Amino acid sequence: MIASDLLDARVLEADGQAVGWVVDLRLVLDGTTDGILARPRLHGLVVSPRTRTSFLGFERSDVRSPWPIAPLLRRWHRGTFLVHWPDVARVPEPDDADHPGPAVVVLRPGYLRYDATLHR
Amino acid sequence: MTGAAPLLPEPRQPGRVLDARLHLLDRQVLDVDSVPVGTLDDLELGPSGPGAAAGSPRADDPPLDGTTTVVVTALLSGPVLGTRVFGGRPPASRWHRVLWRHVTDVGTAVRLANRGDDLDLTWTERWVRDHVVGRLPGGRHDPDAGP
Repeated sequence: MIASDLLDARVLEADGQAVGWVVDLRLVLDGTTDGILARPRLHGLVVSPRTRTSFLGFERSDVRSPWPIAPLLRRWHRGTFLVHWPDVARVPEPDDADHPGPAVVVLRPGYLRYDATLHR
Repeated sequence: MTGAAPLLPEPRQPGRVLDARLHLLDRQVLDVDSVPVGTLDDLELGPSGPGAAAGSPRADDPPLDGTTTVVVTALLSGPVLGTRVFGGRPPASRWHRVLWRHVTDVGTAVRLANRGDDLDLTWTERWVRDHVVGRLPGGRHDPDAGP
């Protein structure tokens, strides 16, 4: 699997209700050391209920300038949340003949939504 | 789960946090001498384990979902212009892989521990150097070496 298989995929709840699109993958460098850096672990999916993509991550940071770009982008992407990877039940299969059409990510029942803000 | 529910605070993570699109994708890749060797076009993901970075994913690999710990195994660079405009993905044979173990720093650029000449990523540059530039009069002269 490559990152593009997940990015821009529609996100569905277990009952089929659409909740948004995958706009980014949250990685944490806490795996086993591989070379100089730790190996990045896929921690979760950043999901936007309104847009397919993000612009410079304003909705995930505490940056408030330049005005009015930052507040506009923050409002445009409001509702963005983080879903932890263990809450993902199914991911898109590349070239899956049984599931043609746009790629979808299906979440587990009772999944939790976390604040997607990046801490410094 | 409803959209109106307040978001839970994200716990602090024990390691550095990176968002793939925000911090990695489309960044310039520099070799150990700070020479640009390419662009980070995609990331290869695979199950965590001792053999995670041993080779490219195979067609018979089990699907990855939340029950499997997934890690980044390699950086990918390839012909993505067409697929980004028209959709789809390049075939696996067209990707150039750089294993994550060669990455030394992630900042405004991604830095590697290797020299660019040792990477498959730069084969076109080497081919043009050997077969085109090298055959031009003076094409094998190193300007940094003096007259």
